Amino acid sequence: MIVAGCDIGSLTAKAVIMENLNILSTAVARAGTRPADSAANVMEKALKRAGLRMNDISHIVGTGYGREQIPFVSSVASEISCHAKGAWHVMPSVRMVIDIGGQDAKATRLDADGNVARYIYNDKCASGTGRFLEVMAEALEIPLEEMGGVGARSTEKLSISNQCVIFAETEVVSLVNEGKETADIINALHHALAKRVSALARSIEVEQDVVMTGGVAKNSGVFGALSQALGIGMKALNGVDPQIVGAMGAALFAAENAGKENP
Amino acid sequence: MDVFYEAATRVDCRPIMEWKNSGRPVVGYTCSYTPAEIFYAAGILPVRLRGIETDGMEVGDTYFGPFICSFPKCILQLAGKGKFSFLDGAIITPGCDGMRRLDECWRKAGEDYEGIVPDYFYYFDVPHKSENHGMDWYLEELRLLVKSIEDHFHVEITDEKLLNAIAVFNKGRRLLRELEDLRSKDDVVVSGTDAFAAAVAGTVMPREEYTRYLEGWLSDLKERKASFSDGKKRIMVVGSVSDEIDLFELIEARKTAVVVAENLCFGIRYEGNEIPETGDPMASLAAHYLGGSVCPRMFGKYKERLQMLKERILRSGADGLIMQNIRFCDLHGAENALFERDLEALGIPCLRVEREYGPHIDAGRMRLRIGAFLERLSVAGKPAGGVQRRTA
Repeated sequence: MIVAGCDIGSLTAKAVIMENLNILSTAVARAGTRPADSAANVMEKALKRAGLRMNDISHIVGTGYGREQIPFVSSVASEISCHAKGAWHVMPSVRMVIDIGGQDAKATRLDADGNVARYIYNDKCASGTGRFLEVMAEALEIPLEEMGGVGARSTEKLSISNQCVIFAETEVVSLVNEGKETADIINALHHALAKRVSALARSIEVEQDVVMTGGVAKNSGVFGALSQALGIGMKALNGVDPQIVGAMGAALFAAENAGKENP
Repeated sequence: MDVFYEAATRVDCRPIMEWKNSGRPVVGYTCSYTPAEIFYAAGILPVRLRGIETDGMEVGDTYFGPFICSFPKCILQLAGKGKFSFLDGAIITPGCDGMRRLDECWRKAGEDYEGIVPDYFYYFDVPHKSENHGMDWYLEELRLLVKSIEDHFHVEITDEKLLNAIAVFNKGRRLLRELEDLRSKDDVVVSGTDAFAAAVAGTVMPREEYTRYLEGWLSDLKERKASFSDGKKRIMVVGSVSDEIDLFELIEARKTAVVVAENLCFGIRYEGNEIPETGDPMASLAAHYLGGSVCPRMFGKYKERLQMLKERILRSGADGLIMQNIRFCDLHGAENALFERDLEALGIPCLRVEREYGPHIDAGRMRLRIGAFLERLSVAGKPAGGVQRRTA
């Protein structure tokens, strides 16, 4: 039975198509202003890659900010449940999932059975999120995906103290004007973001194993800085793009739903 | 129910305006530690001041600044826009520091916006402790309030009138308690949204009219067979001041949850406690209003509040608690964290969220967090704390 998960986030849309709990194809696309169009677009990409048509999919579960607006889903689930489901599927030893997406950061604690035990969102502001890094990448005029690599070349320890994205950007501009190296500034940004997210995770008690999901997990600099801030080594979800874990969790829910209807 | 919804969602609702148009005074107040009975005894309509229907924050932000609770700011915003022009008086109470500052900010704004400060503008102090001299102090404040109302409105507030007012308000308390009991049953015949709207309406409607409608509605509810709770998770809402029907609609919109109780400044919190209808009415009012300690503004009473909350969770059969606090609300922010720690340890799932006050603000963000919580509950699939609850 072929199922799919569609995760419409604030910045990107993700789709995962699975058969018998194995991934057939995945797709990631920039989210537009209309969640329905973003969903159709990313699903089309994933279907094309798998050589399938929409009619071949028996169940689709939607998640993410735009989930209520996706017309073709059979049901919806929160991204908290989906990221937990996806991470648990890949690594059953996981007890905490830290998901840093476009405009929010969440920490979710799982019980030994993989159920969501506790979770917390960033409520005060969005400075510990993907958008924070995007704004900074723009300010530094380097591609977002290169930030991790560039930051790794840092030699001088700098500090970005501001909570607010806009004021932090002002700080970055000041550091640039002081002649500081881009690598050092980026490294400082990674640590600033990691501090905010680690405070969030600590508030619901960190338990190992900890994995990171969401687009920002692809940034090795943030991954390392967050491990350092938490004081533990986070684990990587081997063989899975962290950005599609939410969509994969949604696809796993779709498989469960399909199983219930056709036992 | 339409009467309750209208009263709960409109600042200048029909019952208030009818009262006003009949030439009788209306006085607004800001805190549940203000005994509304005193105004009733004086022939004045007491109306809880609310911040609904705000569509901007330029007045509120100007005088309060950005880093403070949006509830008093919304009240000031409405005042600045002339929405409270029907008020003959306003009582400001230091429920918390944000509400205390409403006194200063409203007066200051009155220098810039002509006519927004009611003729009768009174600061009613309420101590943060009820023990020893706290109660004497509060009683003295009550006497000063009574004297001030008598002088300004040229009325006489006798003990007899106060005892009558207490009896009239007690009737409403009994009815709200009945509503609580209905919501605690296994088959809940009323949505949390309707129940909350009815409770909020009680804070602005003339009391006799309110109890009349409430009585009629309750007898209809008792005849109802349809259950709102089939297959749904039972939710209790606690935390910062809220009179927002939207919040309850948002929780119940997914058809997977029903709000069976709340512990909010508006809403049914401690309505079961009646006030003695004989004896010294002022002492009885003081003991009831200050002695309850239901709000985290009261110092040193956390354990009592936790115990009260546990009892209400058991009674209502709540599967989980949604604890919200308005940004910068230190009192409820800190208390919610303690409640969460202690209740989760008992196996009672809690969701703690910080938000802004005001209609539709944060609706998308709140929907995500509440949705995830309801999913967590449906996986848990067990009654609160696994404890056998008492039947109502």
